[in-house]
Amino acid sequence: MEKQILFTHSSIVIPPPVLPSREIGACVEFQGLVRELEQGAALAGLQYEAHESMARKHLDRIFDELCAAHPCAAVLFIHRLGWVPVGEASLFVRVLSSHRGEALRFLADAIDRMKADVPIWKCAKK
Amino acid sequence: MQVKLLAFAQARDQLGWPERVVDCEPGETPRAILARVAPGARLETWRVAVDEEYQSWDSPIGHAREIALIPPVSGG
Repeated sequence: MEKQILFTHSSIVIPPPVLPSREIGACVEFQGLVRELEQGAALAGLQYEAHESMARKHLDRIFDELCAAHPCAAVLFIHRLGWVPVGEASLFVRVLSSHRGEALRFLADAIDRMKADVPIWKCAKK
Repeated sequence: MQVKLLAFAQARDQLGWPERVVDCEPGETPRAILARVAPGARLETWRVAVDEEYQSWDSPIGHAREIALIPPVSGG
């Protein structure tokens, strides 16, 4: 599986998909956006930080584990760090696979695992 | 030996520092090191990672180079 794990302090620029083979039949993409209301309070944005090298290492392992369960050809993971204003993307994930089922399950599980174990944090204060 | 302690997010806010280097012994546990460096730190909701792997608070650190204090994660 091709894996790309990127962190950026700038707005996420979504690259065009590059298909690793002609057997790709599904391209599933997800963007996580910063919402204005967080636990009832209106926010201007969120501040993100990460233990970047540890996050990269754990994401890489999680993707390998998920690929064994839901075979996919490629994953692109981009997480923004620093201040992210309301309405902008903090996360972009793209999964490519032969069939939609594997890509959809891979994507859902990858985000769940990230939210449980990957050292990335958001904070309401700038 | 010396080990680098990293504190992220709420752990950094509570402790008041993002990083420091401490002297310790291979037989010491993360819990013992924290008790010495930051007595009173509330560890209940934090996890600890030793050389970037989650570990028990009560396992000896061995010849680790880094201990990271990991409050509940919230990426995405």
